[in-house]
Amino acid sequence: MQQFMEILLGGLSQGAVYCVIAVGLSLVYGAARILNFAHGSLYTIGGYIAWTMTSGYLGLPIWAAMLVAIPILFVLGVGLERMIIRPMRARENWKINTIMVTLGLAFALDNLSQIVFGPSAKTVAPFVDGTIELFGVTISLYKFWMFWIALALVAVLEFFLSATRFGHAVRAVSQDIQGANQVGIEVNHVFAFTFGLSVVLTGLAGILLAPVFLVSPLGGWAPFLKAFVIVVFGGLGSTRGAFVAAFVLGLMESFIVFYLGAPWTMPIWLLMLLCVLMVRPKGLFGVWEN
Amino acid sequence: MFTDEEAHGLLPAAEARAKNRNWLRWQDMTFWLVIVALAIIGLVVNDSYVRHILILVLIWALVAASWDLVLGYAGIFNYAQLVFFAVGAYASAMFSLYAGVPALAALGLGTIVGAASGLLIAIPCLRLRGEYVALFTFAVHLALPSVIQQGRSIGLGGSAGLLGIPPINLFGNVLGPMNKLGWFFFALTVVSVCVYIIYFKLLRSKLGHAFVALRDADDFAQSLGVNERRYRLIAFVISAAFTALAGGMYAHYTSVLTPKILGTEFFLMVMVMLAIGGMGKYPGAVLGAFIVVTGNELLRAFDDYRLLILGITVVLAVLFLPNGVVSLRDRFSRTKVKA
Repeated sequence: MQQFMEILLGGLSQGAVYCVIAVGLSLVYGAARILNFAHGSLYTIGGYIAWTMTSGYLGLPIWAAMLVAIPILFVLGVGLERMIIRPMRARENWKINTIMVTLGLAFALDNLSQIVFGPSAKTVAPFVDGTIELFGVTISLYKFWMFWIALALVAVLEFFLSATRFGHAVRAVSQDIQGANQVGIEVNHVFAFTFGLSVVLTGLAGILLAPVFLVSPLGGWAPFLKAFVIVVFGGLGSTRGAFVAAFVLGLMESFIVFYLGAPWTMPIWLLMLLCVLMVRPKGLFGVWEN
Repeated sequence: MFTDEEAHGLLPAAEARAKNRNWLRWQDMTFWLVIVALAIIGLVVNDSYVRHILILVLIWALVAASWDLVLGYAGIFNYAQLVFFAVGAYASAMFSLYAGVPALAALGLGTIVGAASGLLIAIPCLRLRGEYVALFTFAVHLALPSVIQQGRSIGLGGSAGLLGIPPINLFGNVLGPMNKLGWFFFALTVVSVCVYIIYFKLLRSKLGHAFVALRDADDFAQSLGVNERRYRLIAFVISAAFTALAGGMYAHYTSVLTPKILGTEFFLMVMVMLAIGGMGKYPGAVLGAFIVVTGNELLRAFDDYRLLILGITVVLAVLFLPNGVVSLRDRFSRTKVKA
């Protein structure tokens, strides 16, 4: 029983962080129809910002690093959308061009971080030490807080989408770009804003996971690939689908790791994904027509 | 294939068709002239490094051309192209290493295995649309290296790779790693025939028209009776077979095979070829292979920055050369007509 609880709690905290990465990826696809292959590299950039702010150069506490990182990441996201993604939209085959351009961006960012920060992994100290006893299971206090921060981020996003005017605009655009345009929503602003928001989310996830997984130039690909599977599993463009899928797959991962070993995670996830896609080609909650 | 006047109906149909036929014949001729010119260059330039680069250019040109077939012409977001390359390379290497099959026959068997892997990946993709295909195929690409690393026990060699892959023996001529001239002519023959088949036979036939029709007007083409599933399957299998052949050639040429062929460098390189050359526009992809492989060799001096430069090149090429270098030709000829 105790073992079961241990696996369960581990899976939940893992799922919560996956959720933050996956929701950002899904959000930007839903609103702007952009499949952002640089999502994982921007996650790494978040980690490097945290490292620079804390142990690297400035010696700030990690919560301060997160607060400073939010505007930096947002401006980065808006800038990228404005400079390299918006020009694609006018093209005939812009979908394939955006995939190309974001993949190119991902490789450029990875190699840039490798040149600037070196190939070795950087460590970031967690903001709390120690452990906590929950249902007879001992887990680290940092993971406990990580779970709640991740959940809070998703809750804030969900509140923003469902209760604010701008959030409504984002949802309107994701339902029907042309219709939203006709009723006077500034579609381009929504695109830029959601892209910025998704970069903030993935960057914050990068900061949250920095003490656990360390920060390295190619470290973003593994979480990205997982977010990728989660988003397809839940349905492209559906933030709720990503939420559910993140917890389902996070729990599954912790059981697989316990019973079979970590290398089996991806093959089994892909198998699950294949089964889901065979039955529901648009994922669990996917509604979007391409 | 049609010039502006034909598209606007300014030329009578028969005349337009005759003009088009002449244009196609002219393209055929220039293709073989370029191949002959390449053969002469390879023969005259007696430098094994130059020949080595030419061989690599040829192998990658075949990969780029087959990716162009599925991505540029058929419009399927397939990002598992290097998976087919790796399958072809590993299959061909393993047939000749473990089963003792002569290298040339192993190359053929590797091509068949590659085509089968194309079929295997295509079947789930038939049920998916647009970006989901991109996600699924790219996930397969990212998952494969760990499968190879786990597969030491079934002879995949793990991360150390397969060593000592036997060379191709062509009617008594052993194409060892030192025999660059022999390899160059072997690669030139195979690749030029394959590229000719892709661009001049397949894409000009009914098959090619079906691909383009499905890419540009999916629903309309289907309403005219073009079987989408069948043609997408065919596109996948053909492109996988040619890529696997290129992979097998790569394996026997370098005689060493590691999971590195699925790393970011190669993936990025083929992508840059398509981005720079231009997708769905002959001879974009092939030209891209020439530019990128030579450019990559010239950048060897700045090794740390090479991948960064390649990544930035993709971004800039997609931004400023939407249809690749071949669009420069169009732009140039159009301004000339106006003047």
